[in-house]
Amino acid sequence: MQPSRSIKRQPAWHMLASEFGESTLNEKGSGEFDPSFVITKLGSKVNRVIVAGLLERLEPRDTANGSVLYQGQIRDPSGVHYFSVGDYASDSMRELTLQLSPKVESGEPILMLMVAKTRLFQTEEGAIYTSLRPEEACEIDSNRYATWLTKTCQDTLERMKIFTDSLDFEPTIEALTKQDIASHMVEGLVASRNHYGDIDLEHYNLNILQALDIAEGKIDAASKPPQQQIISVQEGDEASSNSDELGDILLDIIKKLDQGEGVDFETLITNASARGFSRSVAEEKIESLSDEGSIHEPAFGWFRIVS
Amino acid sequence: MSEEKYESHINAVLSECPDADREEVREAFAKYESEFYIPPQDALRSIIRRFKGDMAPSSTGNNSQPQKSSVSKKVASLTELSATDRDVEIEVEIISHNLREQTIRGEQKQIAFGLLEDNPWDEGGQRTRWEYKDWGPNSNISPGTVVRIEGASVNEYQGRMSLNINQSTRIAVLREGTRPVVAPGEPIEINNIPSDGYVCVVGRILSSRPDQIHRKDGSGSIDVVRGRMADESGTIGFLSWEPFEHEVGALVKIDGAQVRTFRDTPELNFGRTTKVELYHDSNFADAESLMEQNIVTISQLRDGSRDVEAIVQITEWSKRSFVRDGQEKFLWSGQIADPSGKCRMSAWEELPISESDLPVTIKVKGVRVRSWQGIPDITVDKSTQVEILESTPWDDSIDLSNHIVEVPLTELVNGSSRVGISTQGIVASVREDCGIIMRCTQCRRVLRDGNCSQHGDDVGTQDVRLRLVIDDGTSTSSLLINKEATLNLLNMTEDEIKAEIDSNGQMEFVQRLRGKLLGQLVTASGRTIVDDQGAMLLADKTELVEQDPGLISTEIRAQWGVQ
Repeated sequence: MQPSRSIKRQPAWHMLASEFGESTLNEKGSGEFDPSFVITKLGSKVNRVIVAGLLERLEPRDTANGSVLYQGQIRDPSGVHYFSVGDYASDSMRELTLQLSPKVESGEPILMLMVAKTRLFQTEEGAIYTSLRPEEACEIDSNRYATWLTKTCQDTLERMKIFTDSLDFEPTIEALTKQDIASHMVEGLVASRNHYGDIDLEHYNLNILQALDIAEGKIDAASKPPQQQIISVQEGDEASSNSDELGDILLDIIKKLDQGEGVDFETLITNASARGFSRSVAEEKIESLSDEGSIHEPAFGWFRIVS
Repeated sequence: MSEEKYESHINAVLSECPDADREEVREAFAKYESEFYIPPQDALRSIIRRFKGDMAPSSTGNNSQPQKSSVSKKVASLTELSATDRDVEIEVEIISHNLREQTIRGEQKQIAFGLLEDNPWDEGGQRTRWEYKDWGPNSNISPGTVVRIEGASVNEYQGRMSLNINQSTRIAVLREGTRPVVAPGEPIEINNIPSDGYVCVVGRILSSRPDQIHRKDGSGSIDVVRGRMADESGTIGFLSWEPFEHEVGALVKIDGAQVRTFRDTPELNFGRTTKVELYHDSNFADAESLMEQNIVTISQLRDGSRDVEAIVQITEWSKRSFVRDGQEKFLWSGQIADPSGKCRMSAWEELPISESDLPVTIKVKGVRVRSWQGIPDITVDKSTQVEILESTPWDDSIDLSNHIVEVPLTELVNGSSRVGISTQGIVASVREDCGIIMRCTQCRRVLRDGNCSQHGDDVGTQDVRLRLVIDDGTSTSSLLINKEATLNLLNMTEDEIKAEIDSNGQMEFVQRLRGKLLGQLVTASGRTIVDDQGAMLLADKTELVEQDPGLISTEIRAQWGVQ
């Protein structure tokens, strides 16, 4: 029997930053109180997530309407979640934000766990970003972080299995329902496969291996040389906002750092900012270089020069 | 080894922050790793930040979309429409969709009809239901889909409004159907019958008896036939408004039966347009084995069910009297249990059971189920409905009076209300009203500002409770933890909780609870109330589940073969 219609609280999915952050698809009903969902490449249709990691940044930003919006990011072994806490957040969430922000500022390491609503938005230029709106959060210790990592790995592996199983069938609700694909995944899988096409799961496997190493306390095994190499700034380099110059610099950085698989987005941004270009200017330039065909993106967030 | 361990990471930091002290940077990496399980590459940015100061925040943009204008009459709800409206645009959910052959101007034509509801995105909100006719018929209309209908017209017939979908009407599917799609004439399993709409089923008649329905206005009565039918997936009651002469044991195919749901129990209604015919399938389960599965467990009891058959054990039984219409009457009631759970039973006639015999195992047949506060109550109207059994069909070493059944959260949330269960879930929310509350002295409702919604101002009695949400990734349930269980879980006395809230404030108290509970796996036992608002678990015991991440990780590697 079908359950009767009712206002159901949306479940919270344990999710790594890589799975969530790569999403470019959302779904929203037209009514004011309809839940909105972000659909990940693995076919998770998520309205709410439960995420954890190192609180890397949490700083106030003035908005156009005069209120203060706190923007932050938390890092897990697979990448970064961006989140914001504004007027819409609960009093307790705002209070916690006010308490944590100076701690982060002073460089105190904080492990945080949060239950958050998912959001996906598009800039006027068409770039799509994911972000989170925390509902409730707390500081946790390394043992709880490790426990969260294991649960998240388990759930992600299950989703990868369901995704792979679904590939044998047509991406339609009817076909997948008939094949006994887990019912909570069916709608997301259909939307994901029609939107993202073929996807590569290999990097999720690497993320999981690394997360499991950490959960087992084998941080050494999970350690990697810094991805973010910074090419030292030459004496006399003048900071300039000249866009052509930035393009040349970015191309130069990619040329120097590319060891076959491209150069990751964060490295480019950091290098550009070391030369005096703001994040937003650099982001825009990367986009336009990509559009004009000077660089291409062989894997999400990794750039190479078109040869 | 630690001399070289962070070398490259330290160099990366120093190249960004030339003034930083190499040893301090090394210590920072070591601290992130040992205390926070953060590998150096992930700690790098935080450490650079710490030694360098700030970085410009990334920019985000908000864009609002311009409103589209439209030429047709675009409405949000059916009530905004009048009988003369043409070229209507509205978003609706298709509730049912039935195909029918009709002869129009001498030509055989297929049309579709059914029910639709407006306000499709507001789950549980106010919805208006209309009939519709689809003259297309459009192939993309199916039950459960949410569609935008552009260019429909309104039809009024004897005061009843309906929507006409014409061949030129555009149908845009906004959400694929989540309900089972039922093709006409294609039988579905009894267990999968939706809570409303028209269905086709094939099943064997298990019981059938004539009955009468008396018109409320006293204008007479209608002869009907009531009974039950079954297939291998389950059983369902039926009510036929037309003469129904198939005997018990007959295998029939019923097309176009209407499903109506009374309380939580669906029932098939056979009317003038329902086609009933004998069906031939020598492999179909015989009546005897279908009767066997007609026996339900306590966990399967649903409010409003009739003709229920079950084997249960009475663990408590007592007689009480009440006066109605000046006459003293008696009612027997008590606790019953089976290995799937516990509930209550009431009898209007005396049963040959004395308290000293308990526990007594009985088989009940033809009884009905009512629910009170979500707890099913089997009602025995006649003592002949009860048969006392010599032994239990289950392992009789189970002590059912203290028996707690472990049930997965999703099963609890999607089932009926249950007693004597335990489940596990991740704490996804710690509500801000956890802690000390005041209850109405008359009805135990929680007071708001010293005011009871039923009894007005009240001094109140102090109580302690936690209000959480637990979640298993697909389903969620409210979790209300009573005083004793709260004090045990927090390892605090009521006075300590009161003192902490008085000195630090409610918000700090709740934040500390989140620090302890959020994201943690808990086991909770007690009873559930499942209704339209979702599921609620009233727990008299709740514990954090101790977890060893190293061990779990090893299991994950073994299970998935990831090394």
